[in-house]
Amino acid sequence: MNSRAVRLIAGTVLKESVRRREIYVLVLVACGLLAVIMRMDFFGLGGLTKFYREASLQVMGLTTAFAVIVLAARQLPREMENRTIYPLLARPVRRVEFLLGKLLGVLLAGIFCFALFMIVFLAGSWRMQADVPWVLFIQHIYLQILMLAILATLGFLLSLLLHTDAAITICALLFLLSSVSSMMLVNLYGYLDGFGQRVVLFLTYFLPQLTLLDVSEKAVHAEIWPPLGGAVLLALSAYAGVYIGIYFLCALALFCRRAL
Amino acid sequence: MSEPVISVSGLSVSYGKRGRAIKAVDDISFAVAEGECVGFIGLNGAGKSTTIKTLMGFLFATAGEARVFGQCAGEPASRSRIGYLPEVALYYPFMKARELLELYGGLSGLSKQELKVRIPAVLEDVGLGGKGEILLKHFSKGMQQRLGIAQSIIAEPELYIFDELTSGLDPIGRYTLRTLLLKLKASGKTIFFSSHELSEVEMLCDRVLLIHKGRLLRDAKVAELQTESGAQGLEPFFIELIKRQEQEAGHE
Repeated sequence: MNSRAVRLIAGTVLKESVRRREIYVLVLVACGLLAVIMRMDFFGLGGLTKFYREASLQVMGLTTAFAVIVLAARQLPREMENRTIYPLLARPVRRVEFLLGKLLGVLLAGIFCFALFMIVFLAGSWRMQADVPWVLFIQHIYLQILMLAILATLGFLLSLLLHTDAAITICALLFLLSSVSSMMLVNLYGYLDGFGQRVVLFLTYFLPQLTLLDVSEKAVHAEIWPPLGGAVLLALSAYAGVYIGIYFLCALALFCRRAL
Repeated sequence: MSEPVISVSGLSVSYGKRGRAIKAVDDISFAVAEGECVGFIGLNGAGKSTTIKTLMGFLFATAGEARVFGQCAGEPASRSRIGYLPEVALYYPFMKARELLELYGGLSGLSKQELKVRIPAVLEDVGLGGKGEILLKHFSKGMQQRLGIAQSIIAEPELYIFDELTSGLDPIGRYTLRTLLLKLKASGKTIFFSSHELSEVEMLCDRVLLIHKGRLLRDAKVAELQTESGAQGLEPFFIELIKRQEQEAGHE
């Protein structure tokens, strides 16, 4: 594995996302939203702190997920359309290294987005003199990064199968409906039989339960929730790892067979 | 005799799905020896770019095989010895020329120290001296083409494959490029390029391959062709060859 090639390609993705300023626009809009929240005074200080935490985490999660979905789903089609992929793959770079570099770059862009939000969030917390439940916060961000990796690999996979816009829409829908989709599938299963049940069963296992990786509620109510144990974190990491691996391998199989 | 740098035998490449597949390259065979400069010419859609993309591993052969440095086309080990210029390529508009060459040079295995020395020299060679810190979104088409040539020569490979070499270049750009290619040729590098500019081909190449509708029409030394074509020059001669081929195909 040529790790330098992976790093160089990842660096290009990060550079693009930073220089194109799309991330800044998202962060600016989100900051405006948080500034409005900070000016509310009908909760009392305790309530406002929790509301601020919850709103920050929601905005942070939503914005970063959308940024990563769009970035990931655009990567390969744009490289192919603009033909920038030719001089890259004319080098001694394997397609697996190219795809890994893209994944790493998209994740770094997501982390960059998180970092910008954290600066804004911490500045707001400091202004409100509110405590930050650090351990749960860090755990939450770690799990969110795993979720971003799932969405990024799924974005790559779908962008190789469908039009970019369709890939972005499906990924975004999966993310937005993740809290209700598992319950919906369970209910659907009861109403179907034969082939329908098999489809639902396939979807249940093929689509990740992204809500498992969302501990924002615990981070908001950190006073009553202890941080996650090591075993739970490990299990969640393994769960995410399986989906990242499956989607990545499927995307790689398609990409390696793709004539450019 | 040493192994050819490029060896293509019975190569066919088709686009599209079975049943509706279009044969872009149809059973062509040729070889390029070390140190040779070979021009690959033909009309638009003749199969030049398809052949070149197959040599780079971007497209896959449907029959026959293409080998570069004795390895299957597209193997990373062979790609590390090739400098490739794509037919039409845009380069990342958010990057500076220097950064782009750092990226491509780094991917070719050059160290940071080597890149520091190579980049200004290469930019100078292609007529972009002092333009390293300009964002590529401000580059004209001709400048992009020059940068494309710069990225293909940055790692000083043994084999150069250029697809539509002079596309988008003004007369001064062509002159700069010709000087550069003659320098590469004199240093014993192998050059294989496609072009519509027959005058360039005549000036630079040892040998010419003429492809038409996916089939190889001629593979001959430039000197032989010049004798054969006589006073009329290569351009009318090739047009004549293609017309004759069309007529023969019509009769069949």
